[in-house]
Amino acid sequence: MSPPTLAASATKTKSAPARPGAYAGRLLRVDLTRKKCWAEPWSPDEMRDLLGGVGLGALILYRETATRGGKGNVAWDHPDNRLVLATGPLAGLPVWGTGALTVVTIGAQTNGPTSTQANGFFGTNLKYSGYDAIIVQGRSKDWAYLYIDDDVVELRDAKFLLDKDTWETQEALGAAHGLSGHQLSVYAIGPAGENLVRFAAIHGDYGHVASKNGCGAVMGKKKLKAVAIVKGTQALTAADYRGVIQAADDIAHDLRTDPSAKSLYEYGTLPGVVNLSKLGMLPIKNYTTNVPYDDTSTWEAPKLREGFDHRGHQCNACGMHHCHMQVIRGGEHKGKVVDEPEYEGWSGCGWQIGARDKEGISWLNTECDRACVDVNEFGWVCGWVMECQEKGYITKQQLGFELRWGDIKGAHRLLRMISHREGLGDLLAEGVKIAAERLGGRAKECAIYTLLGASPRGHDHRGRWDEMLDTCTAGTGTLESGVPVHVAELGLPTRITPFDGEAVSRQVAGILGRRHFEDSLGICIFTARTRMENLCRALSAATGWYYTLDEAMRFGRRTAAILRSVRLRCGIGPKLERPSARYGSTPHDGPAKGQAVSEQWEKMVDTWYVQVGYDRKTGKPLPKTLKDLRLDWLARDLWGAKK
Amino acid sequence: MRILKIMPEKCTGCLRCEIACSYMQTGTFQPAKSVIRVSPFEGHTSYAPYTCPQCAEGWCMTACPVGAITINAAGAKDVLDDTCVGCKLCTIACPYGTMFYDPDTRKAFKCNLCGGDPACAQACPTAAITYDDVPTVDWLGDFAAERTTRLLAGVR
Repeated sequence: MSPPTLAASATKTKSAPARPGAYAGRLLRVDLTRKKCWAEPWSPDEMRDLLGGVGLGALILYRETATRGGKGNVAWDHPDNRLVLATGPLAGLPVWGTGALTVVTIGAQTNGPTSTQANGFFGTNLKYSGYDAIIVQGRSKDWAYLYIDDDVVELRDAKFLLDKDTWETQEALGAAHGLSGHQLSVYAIGPAGENLVRFAAIHGDYGHVASKNGCGAVMGKKKLKAVAIVKGTQALTAADYRGVIQAADDIAHDLRTDPSAKSLYEYGTLPGVVNLSKLGMLPIKNYTTNVPYDDTSTWEAPKLREGFDHRGHQCNACGMHHCHMQVIRGGEHKGKVVDEPEYEGWSGCGWQIGARDKEGISWLNTECDRACVDVNEFGWVCGWVMECQEKGYITKQQLGFELRWGDIKGAHRLLRMISHREGLGDLLAEGVKIAAERLGGRAKECAIYTLLGASPRGHDHRGRWDEMLDTCTAGTGTLESGVPVHVAELGLPTRITPFDGEAVSRQVAGILGRRHFEDSLGICIFTARTRMENLCRALSAATGWYYTLDEAMRFGRRTAAILRSVRLRCGIGPKLERPSARYGSTPHDGPAKGQAVSEQWEKMVDTWYVQVGYDRKTGKPLPKTLKDLRLDWLARDLWGAKK
Repeated sequence: MRILKIMPEKCTGCLRCEIACSYMQTGTFQPAKSVIRVSPFEGHTSYAPYTCPQCAEGWCMTACPVGAITINAAGAKDVLDDTCVGCKLCTIACPYGTMFYDPDTRKAFKCNLCGGDPACAQACPTAAITYDDVPTVDWLGDFAAERTTRLLAGVR
């Protein structure tokens, strides 16, 4: 038995209660096969149950992508796969960083569910147009883009956008509609998405990327080149306007002053390079070493920022000094406008591939965005090919040229080969796991991936066991639990020994739910780095509910259980919850030298399973867990009526 | 008197001012009805908020045929809703493009400095919009001269 459809239960309500504040109140359904778009209602009860973002997307996946009477699931490239582009209740409000978009789909990398976020103005423009989310289904015969201008919703011919990169696509659509800046939010795919690269991302608003698990390939398979949303003219209400503004100010105060967020407030993710290098968490040359090959003092955040002419380029209502546009001052790419790399840009296009040239790295990072390639997976692919060439596992003849550590030009050539599936690029476009398994032998031993097929984030997780465990066990194929900040709120210890597997597992399991709650609100992960109590207060003021921390965590764990159930239905079980040989290896130098995650791995996973209340053998959430989460319908689906 | 001062070089285009303004103007969050607007320039790398500079000439007041525009306690030109007939002459007369017409209410609307505590200045996270004392109502000339001097001297 499955939950009722959203539209059906919405129409069942006889005397519908008033719509909660902050919601637009409608979902936009887009059927590419039939070339039809229509608005669907969703009820206030569903809004409270699902919130938005990943909460809404998870249930849509569960309900609409099943096959064989709920025993199987459609593959990522099937027309019945859904591409949910959802925002949330806080989007468009004056809370910092609330233009967010959560993409939920069956991803191309793991062929399982994914949830991945981006920001900018997508969520704002969509909400002010009168919609809380877009649900895309079917497959277009010809390339199309979706255009939304309040109630004008149309699928339009995208031929003139083909082979344009994501920035060019946004410029062309802006010119075509006579709109600039945030008057038009565009999320699009570049050549990598058109060519179904398995780690293609969806990119938008010059510098924002929903990057994980090949959601751009799903968009490409559906032949949807872009979604363009004009800044809407509708109004959003709040139950308590002053309450929203007050909660927003308190969140901003936390972000400005709290030690867990202050450096993010000042420099975004730039401080990560030096800080993580001190902890053995910076990925260097495909995990072949843990010792920086360059003077890290030249990589301090102020130097990275001031090395370029730069300007703030913030998302909706945001006061963080995070996203910046920058102009390259010298060298081959002098004068080019690029997006300031995040920490993961500096690692994926920099340290992971042995590069030192900061201007080159900055340029390459934006080239990844333009091609719509996930910069993390690109780093793992590129660094792996570099190491394999150095060791003779991939020959010059196979690749077509020599690719040495730190070669930015060569890395860019590889990027083009991947995004156009040229030569060996055709195999590499399948991602590290598939490429390594096909090449096999010694090459496979150097590849960094999870057995799920997902990309680890841009760290050396051999020094960050919590993220390795989270990446391997997640229902989404990427980090799922949450950032371990303000954990005292959840009754967890504020400090643990990072190489105590038992403590790490308890922490990862203990915060499971936090990220899904954040990713359902329409807020940025970085501006959500406040106490959850503040987020609940903002949500309560916006909607008129009395939303507590307990409800937030229960909501997040419910969403995790639904996503995991979809993942199991996709045939991705506990046996695949492991790191590859290199990913789970022991560092032989640097700050994490000798710390062997492999020795504690089985115990860590066992502990995690007990703590989250899932069955270790089948991977299914246990009936009691589901009952506690008020998911009786899911318990019946997974375990049958008697249990 | 106090006036809204706008420093475009500090603006990051987050549009928080528009959300805050629309709440003061309409009682809901609706940036489409904000009376401060942010425009992008230079390949999406810079932004400039603009709103009524409360100019000394008061072109909107001069043009209004029914005397619906007055000066409020904060010194801002303000539209009297009861008197406005929605003829839009003020929107044509305004040289700054900061008089607006609302097709829902069929009235003109503009920045009234929120009666002396502008929400945009409160909301701006980068202090690109401030509410400051200035010697004359016509502050734009001084502002332009000062900015030009700074730019020529290479100071940002």
